[in-house]
Amino acid sequence: MSILDQRKLIESIHPFGLLSRTTLDNLMQKIDIAYYPKDTLLISKNLPSIAFYIIIKGSVTESKDDEIQNVYSHGDTFDADALIYGKCEGRFVVDEDLICYEIKKDDFLELMQNKKVQNYFLQDFVTRHQQLKNYDMQSDFSGFLMARVSDMFLHKACVVDPSESIFSALGKQEKLKAHVIIVKDANEYSIVTDTDLRKHVLLGGADVKDEISKIATKGLISIDYADFLFNALLIMTQNEIKRIVVMKNKEVFGVLEQLDLLSYFANHSHLVAVQIDKALNIDDLKILQADMKNIIITLRAKGVKVRYITKLISTLNIKVYKKVFDMCVDAELQKDCALIVMGSEGREEQTLKSDQDNALIIRNGVDVKLYEEPMMKLNSHLLELGFPKCPGNIMVSNEFWRRDESGYKKLIAGWTQSMSEADVQNLSIFLDSKCVAGDENLLSSLITHLHQHFHQRDDVLAHIAKAVLNFETPLSVFSGFVLEKEQQNRLDLKKGGLFALVHGIRTLCLEYEITQTNTIERIKELNNKGIIDKVFATELIESFDTLSAIRLKATLEAKSLDESNYINPQSLEKIQRDLLKDSFKIINKFKKFMSFHFHLNMVS
Amino acid sequence: MLFSFIDKIKTKANRSRLKEKKYEFLFEEDLSGEYIVFDTETTGLNPKKDDIVSIGAVKIKDNKILTSQTFEVFIKNSCEMSSKSIEIHRIRPIDLQNAKTTECAIREFLDFIGSRPLVGYYLEFDVSMINKYIKPMLGITLPNKKIEVSEIYFDQTISLIPQGNIDLRFDTILKNCGVPDMGAHNAVNDAIMTAMIFLKLKKA
Repeated sequence: MSILDQRKLIESIHPFGLLSRTTLDNLMQKIDIAYYPKDTLLISKNLPSIAFYIIIKGSVTESKDDEIQNVYSHGDTFDADALIYGKCEGRFVVDEDLICYEIKKDDFLELMQNKKVQNYFLQDFVTRHQQLKNYDMQSDFSGFLMARVSDMFLHKACVVDPSESIFSALGKQEKLKAHVIIVKDANEYSIVTDTDLRKHVLLGGADVKDEISKIATKGLISIDYADFLFNALLIMTQNEIKRIVVMKNKEVFGVLEQLDLLSYFANHSHLVAVQIDKALNIDDLKILQADMKNIIITLRAKGVKVRYITKLISTLNIKVYKKVFDMCVDAELQKDCALIVMGSEGREEQTLKSDQDNALIIRNGVDVKLYEEPMMKLNSHLLELGFPKCPGNIMVSNEFWRRDESGYKKLIAGWTQSMSEADVQNLSIFLDSKCVAGDENLLSSLITHLHQHFHQRDDVLAHIAKAVLNFETPLSVFSGFVLEKEQQNRLDLKKGGLFALVHGIRTLCLEYEITQTNTIERIKELNNKGIIDKVFATELIESFDTLSAIRLKATLEAKSLDESNYINPQSLEKIQRDLLKDSFKIINKFKKFMSFHFHLNMVS
Repeated sequence: MLFSFIDKIKTKANRSRLKEKKYEFLFEEDLSGEYIVFDTETTGLNPKKDDIVSIGAVKIKDNKILTSQTFEVFIKNSCEMSSKSIEIHRIRPIDLQNAKTTECAIREFLDFIGSRPLVGYYLEFDVSMINKYIKPMLGITLPNKKIEVSEIYFDQTISLIPQGNIDLRFDTILKNCGVPDMGAHNAVNDAIMTAMIFLKLKKA
């Protein structure tokens, strides 16, 4: 019985759960419990590892060159590498009285003969990370989000030649019970919907004997057969369409109906999108805000990757912005300005409402004063909708963020000269700009101008990049928490990790004139340009995803906005805690990369 | 001085009563440097009336609890188990199907402990339970040195709060020593937890 209890504990620790019953029974015969008081040195360069440790209680820090690399606590294990390779660069020191299981070196190495265990301990970071994540998913959710378009019921597509008459095409459509007609030209597809028929045939006077290609709409929106279902939902929401054509090997394969898809997802993000468009006044929009939060909660519970959730929410928020913009700004004025969102909204990474960071660019030659009143109104509407006020006053209601093109150019010129903290901050925020309403070209030409200005300005770039090192290594924050129980046992995810990653990537993108604003897309683009290699890029994306996911959890549980960046690692599942630690290690690696790249040790 | 003298005489008298020569080793000087932590589960709290249901023991060497050499035995019992103790120990009558006779179990236990010092929580009770059987069997009582963890705990705590009342309940000591509760209270688990407390107090 009691042996069983201990077995259960060991079994709950990955990868021991993968062992067969007999192997585990054998292992149990070989495990001792050891007690080490605080400050005991367990492993170091000169003190070879004699056992594999599984912590029951207490904590151990691993440090390399006086820098804390990792903190191990309940349920953690260490250190396989020291046993396998027979040497260890770091020092493992007991931080809080330690009670642990010990598997002697020889027994552990014997255990390593087991393929599953071996795989786990010998894998590189990414694979292990992925494996843990999959394991995490498995334990909580079904393979829901793994669902692909091919898993769905697809309606037959009615494909006709362009020369076919409208009449016979309709006949075919009726026979197949299809909702749309797809016209196949030599090299492209176009589509005929009921709306087209109404517009062109019933109202426009086209004859049913005419060629169908005459009334077809070009620019078919499609999705690949193997793509994720979630992407189909995203495309539908973005384009406000009710069905999407599914392609297989570049041929039309079938049609995915929104109704089928929605019943699959059982939430109503599309409906929210439609309702936003249909809203007539600010009160209509207000009602929808609660739905947005529900969508996040539902999607998260279903295991949807955070980057997709944030994308969806950003899409919806942009719709809200557009709508409010339409309500406040006269059509005449709209074409001469661009409303931009900046910061996390611009990066499409905010989940729940974060501070509003927005600005207005006005075409040169148009009176800036004309926009004052509409922008005040816009700002107050946004506040009313629950977009929190920006503490730094980076909002269209502030004259500073409401200027014409030459005004911004002056600002940019200032940024390239100045080293003040406020300017670096403004620049950072502006770099994440995304146009949500008005004339997009106003923003893109400004960004081009900005990139040109920073050409060959390595000095300023290094100065901007320096902020990456502003906050302490997250793992030492972690250990501080273990040691001193201060900060209410929590750590700051944003300061600790996300900021360094987001800001560093942003600075690199400024240097290499990359226009993407989303962090993951930026990383991919940096990889495409060969600035970081594929493995590192994947590591960074995975880390970013993990940190965002944990932050989302914190946000949803937080009582106030100030608290949303804090997380108590003890409240996380063991696997998530491991993922978090691994992510922090990658962030540390990234910081080193940045220091090297921008020669930060030479910048004061 | 006087006490150790009396102890010596007592031990000598005890040894002279030993019926089986085989068990001389219980009186030999212990050179292993190990401790035995043990716990018994019984049908009740009265050594005169109640019986042992199971014995759990682990060895301690230096800073390690040798769980790889755990001793655990269940004893077939004539007298009915009270439902209360079934609840506490989670030993159902069915668990006792593979159990051993009392005599057999006690002999195995003696082989396991040798002359090592014994450590326990309210050790007196567990020792008198064991004595109840070995007295008629071998003519002796357990001669091993006995270490009471609640006593060490008391001594260490009283120096901090001279006039205080010290809560000596097992759970309290467990908590104050920062030892994890291993869940089910059975003989081996209790022995392991007691061993952890002992290690912790010894180091402090």
